[in-house]
Amino acid sequence: MHEYDAPTPTKPKPKVWKSKMKEQCMNFGLSSARAAEILARDGPNSLTPPKATPEIIKFLKQMVGGFSILLWIGAVFSWISFGIQLAQGSESPFDNLYLGVVLAVVVILTGIFAYYQEAKSTNIMASFSKMIPQQALVIRDAEKKELSADQLVVGDIVEIKGGDRIPADIRLIFAQGCKVDNSSLTGESEPQSRSCDFTHENPLETRNIAFYSTTCVEGTATGIVINTGDRTVIGRIASLASGVGNEKTPIAIEIEHFVYLVAGVAISIGVLFFIISVSMQNKILDSIIFLIGIIVANVPEGLLATVTVSLSLTAKRMAKKNCLVKNLEAVETLGSTSIICSDKTGTLTQNRMTVAHLWFDNQIYSADTSEDQTTQPFDQSSPSWTALSKIVTLCNRAEFRPGQENLPIMKRVVVGDASETALLKFAEVILGDIMDIRARNKKVAEIPFNSTNKFQLSIHETDDPKDKRFLLVMKGAPERILERCSTIMINGKEEPLDSEKAEAFQTAYMELGGMGERVLGFCHLYLPENEFPDTYPFDTDSMNFPTSNLCFVGLLSMIDPPRSTVPDAVSKCRSAGIKVIMVTGDHPITAKAIAKSVGIISATSETVEDIAKRLNIPVEQVNRREATAAVVNGMELKDMSLQQLDEILCNHSEIVFARTSPQQKLIIVEGCQRQGAVVAVTGDGVNDSPALKKADIGIAMGIAGSDAAKNAADMVLLDDNFASIVTGVEEGRLIFDNLKKTIAYTLTKNIAELCPFLIYIIASIPMPIGTITILFIDLGTDIIPSVALAYEKAESDIMNRRPRNKRKDRLVNQQLAVYSYLQIGIMQAVGAFVTYFTVYAEQGFLPSTLLGVRVDWENNAINDFEDSYGQQWTKYQRMYLQWTGYTAFFVSITIQQVADLIIRKTRRNSIFQQGLFRNKVIWVGIFSQIGIALILTYGLGHVTALNFTPLRFQYWFVAVPFAILIWVYDEVRKLFIRRYPGSWWDKNMYY
Amino acid sequence: MATLNEKKTCSERMENFRRFVWNPETKLFMGRTLINWVWISLYYLAFYVVMSGLFALSIYSLMRTVNPYEPDYQDQLKSPGVTLRPDVYGDRGLQIYYNVSDNKTWEGLVTTLQTFLTAYTPAAQHLNINCTSDTYFIQDTFDGPNKTKLSCKFTSDMLQNCSGITDPTFGFPEGTPCFIIKMNRIIKFLPGNGTAPRVDCTYVGDESRPLEVDYYPVNGTFNLHYFPYYGKKAQPSYSNPLVAVKFLNITRNVELKIVCKIIGAGITFDNVHDPYEGKTLLKNMCEEQTYLFSRSSVFIFSL
Repeated sequence: MHEYDAPTPTKPKPKVWKSKMKEQCMNFGLSSARAAEILARDGPNSLTPPKATPEIIKFLKQMVGGFSILLWIGAVFSWISFGIQLAQGSESPFDNLYLGVVLAVVVILTGIFAYYQEAKSTNIMASFSKMIPQQALVIRDAEKKELSADQLVVGDIVEIKGGDRIPADIRLIFAQGCKVDNSSLTGESEPQSRSCDFTHENPLETRNIAFYSTTCVEGTATGIVINTGDRTVIGRIASLASGVGNEKTPIAIEIEHFVYLVAGVAISIGVLFFIISVSMQNKILDSIIFLIGIIVANVPEGLLATVTVSLSLTAKRMAKKNCLVKNLEAVETLGSTSIICSDKTGTLTQNRMTVAHLWFDNQIYSADTSEDQTTQPFDQSSPSWTALSKIVTLCNRAEFRPGQENLPIMKRVVVGDASETALLKFAEVILGDIMDIRARNKKVAEIPFNSTNKFQLSIHETDDPKDKRFLLVMKGAPERILERCSTIMINGKEEPLDSEKAEAFQTAYMELGGMGERVLGFCHLYLPENEFPDTYPFDTDSMNFPTSNLCFVGLLSMIDPPRSTVPDAVSKCRSAGIKVIMVTGDHPITAKAIAKSVGIISATSETVEDIAKRLNIPVEQVNRREATAAVVNGMELKDMSLQQLDEILCNHSEIVFARTSPQQKLIIVEGCQRQGAVVAVTGDGVNDSPALKKADIGIAMGIAGSDAAKNAADMVLLDDNFASIVTGVEEGRLIFDNLKKTIAYTLTKNIAELCPFLIYIIASIPMPIGTITILFIDLGTDIIPSVALAYEKAESDIMNRRPRNKRKDRLVNQQLAVYSYLQIGIMQAVGAFVTYFTVYAEQGFLPSTLLGVRVDWENNAINDFEDSYGQQWTKYQRMYLQWTGYTAFFVSITIQQVADLIIRKTRRNSIFQQGLFRNKVIWVGIFSQIGIALILTYGLGHVTALNFTPLRFQYWFVAVPFAILIWVYDEVRKLFIRRYPGSWWDKNMYY
Repeated sequence: MATLNEKKTCSERMENFRRFVWNPETKLFMGRTLINWVWISLYYLAFYVVMSGLFALSIYSLMRTVNPYEPDYQDQLKSPGVTLRPDVYGDRGLQIYYNVSDNKTWEGLVTTLQTFLTAYTPAAQHLNINCTSDTYFIQDTFDGPNKTKLSCKFTSDMLQNCSGITDPTFGFPEGTPCFIIKMNRIIKFLPGNGTAPRVDCTYVGDESRPLEVDYYPVNGTFNLHYFPYYGKKAQPSYSNPLVAVKFLNITRNVELKIVCKIIGAGITFDNVHDPYEGKTLLKNMCEEQTYLFSRSSVFIFSL
């Protein structure tokens, strides 16, 4: 449990704090010497930054991560053999030097790329330190001093005023109208008043403590510093957040798994053939060169960079859909999410009160609560509505800020509290210019709302020039309003309020209240003209006007309504197998109502309490398993053991946590993770940052979120909208599928690159492909096509399947590796070898001649090497032919990779279902691939070091039949997979 | 994810591995049931049989398309390579050095030459005809037995002093060694454009310094009637014409670099990458034991 202890507030002892002493203290403060002593003891009042890994270490880590170590080994071996050959005075030792240099450059470049990517991700502590107030007004040596806040020590007297940031945790000893905004700490956005009174045992609740880094909104206060630096509440959260380890993202685990797999294959094949080669009495040096070749052929050098690029492309796409991804790997994490713990306010709801229901004429009407209402559809013909609308309009102090006439009503800024704003906008939508109506009904007296009366009252002249009566309008808590009424308006007529009508009122009130809505009652009274003439002096203090026996007109209920896109998004989550859990600080009833209206609790499911109510039995007797939904109160959660929490998370599919403290969020997240779920958490306050960090993917709110939350999060929702998360999930799932395709594409050619070495050793033919040529495929022709696969559209509705099981649904599974390596890869190898043999045969070396010639072929001393036709070749002529072979092999692999690229567009559907031309980027990939191959062959064909030669044009087409075969074979595979789901074929051939 | 990151002990890993190899509960052997293994093996067997078949078919059709008499292209064989006998290669090409007075150092060289020339004895050449014309021996038809073409005789006696007949030691003990130069065969290659190509040996880098040499046959020419070559199938008994070079006055105890070029139209020797195209480069050193202790002296013949 990560519940942290807040500092214990000390009860101010009135006896000790006699006003005189207090004054003294306030006037003198600490002496500078004493302050310096304490400062030396406690250290400066600032948050300790986490021990940062030195940049150079980070950089070096990138240089040895992934495949790099294998390539380094290759490079070192190359240099060693260069050294040996140089010492032996051999003729062409520089090939190995170049190879080593090329390998090292490859590693360093990919390392720099990865480092650059990592450097972009930000550090959470940075934002915490940004929040530190710069200056503080301190009393020391009986003098007011402006000090840098980090010089503060425990015992210092500080003065704060509205607009200041609190410089440390302080206990107030004097306060005047002081209000603080604790939202960065607790998430509560309402400013809270602060005084010297000790009101609660819990330091977070008590009135007389103000916390470090929160803001003083208004008023002034003086206080004693009780905690500084890391010992402040925020400091503890900060250390808690950095203490929550950065978990490896699922995709990082997948890539690690993949690296191990490929490295394992590379090393075992390499070592196996090294041993074979040595036992075939090749020189150790040559065998080492084979080993390097095998490693280079096996390692997809470009893949990790490709993955990064694909992820950042998706991140860009998500940013367009309002999901800003900070940590690239989080892109995929979102896709594997199985539980979303969502805030309510602002995320699921619109974060503004809106009129939801009305009750008049004994009937409940529903109002439109969508974001962009322009009219209200309910029946407005009744005279009771006219009366009600008048009260709503007049008994309201909220006003639009001027100069917003062109904005839609819902977007205008209003001065006034949340419910009055709701009523104002509601009235404006229906009645038009409210300010004008108010001007025509001049206000003569007003009693604003206060918590003792629980009503608000105003008296107006009417806009009817013939009617000289004053209109008294009142709104307030329904029961209080009803108390003051003796009549009730039904269809425009006043009727006596008998018990039957009062009963109807009660039912309506309960019903609206039960929907979690805030209900207000409205009543009015036309003051008789004779008693209250024009000149009557209304006095609000003596209340020289009637405030009882009024006429009850109706009820209005308000709620912070769900965003209109949310129910759809929640149902999408549901079909995508993602459990949505609501975690809110709100009242359980409101939370449940919202949960029901957005579908987090579906219409048919019941909580234990609902079942108890329906069956009329005590809650204890209900079989908890029957209830699919659960509403858990924060107080209950506090007393729960971990097992009980697990049980709830396990047994209920629809859960709402209400009245939860921010710290409980972390417990909930950990509980979900114990179930093996990948958890996404939304949050906005500083207090959410531990939960955001702990979550597999933390999602901060872009608009409402604090900086600390944004920094702790992996992702920021720019529009604070839950629905954006769902589009993010969709992108995340898509990229996982597409990365699979990319990896399958990249792995395939490894076999075609590896086989030459194996056949070379076993059959002793001239080397079919060079190590540098392989690097040109891996880092040249193949890069753009593999990125292009990231643009592939989904094959089916990816939001209709369950989230991937992170233990079973691996990125690189056995089927993928086996199908790529042992089937398509082999086809490519065969195609490439046919090209190789064709080139050699047409130049004079028939296949039968080639077998077993390696030793003589590579012998520098043989310059009259005889081919199948009796012609004689010098060493260089043979070498040049060998390079032509490299080029032909390279070209064949490239041509077949085009087919491979096309088949990888889909894993299940036919290419024709997917559409060959829908993903234009694939074609960019294909043309780039062929273009690069053309440039290498014909453009750089004369640069000897690269081992490319201008190839006769017809050799480009030798492998085409094999490319077509690959396509046809894969279509057949997919056909059988679609035709026979669940069959042996499906199990073994679907990756 | 905590569960995934749990460090497993070695014994747990071993146990997991054993379970993977044979899981007694699910009866899975390496993650599959035995019958499943049979199926998958059969599938792959069939797959590889088909792939091998396709490969064999491709190679078969390739063999059907290639001409048995001459290759389709001679992209790399624009100009013939030149080789030298005896061919002793050091780290940087042909390097021949020996001690005049120590017959062990040159016996190997002599043997090489003798062995090489056994292919040019009258007996070995008995299938070939005597040619006298000094023009290209162009044959458009198969005049030889079994659909072959005729080849001209080249016997070692044409090398006169360097034939090994008159001097079985090829002049090595005398310090006037013989070397035999051979031009590589290229099908339908017509060197010299009607003029017989000839061998020309000079010091490397110092063309003006006279090198005293005897060429056999006279002038060191390759007679045109040995060309063109029609390939192994058409001319099974063809043997390359040779030119022998006898160095008459080589400074002893000095490393010499000699290049022997073949001069003739169509033969290039300026390919920077290929030291043996149209020429052969030789380092030669004749060592002479003149004192009680041996002193190295080198002939380097670059041919």
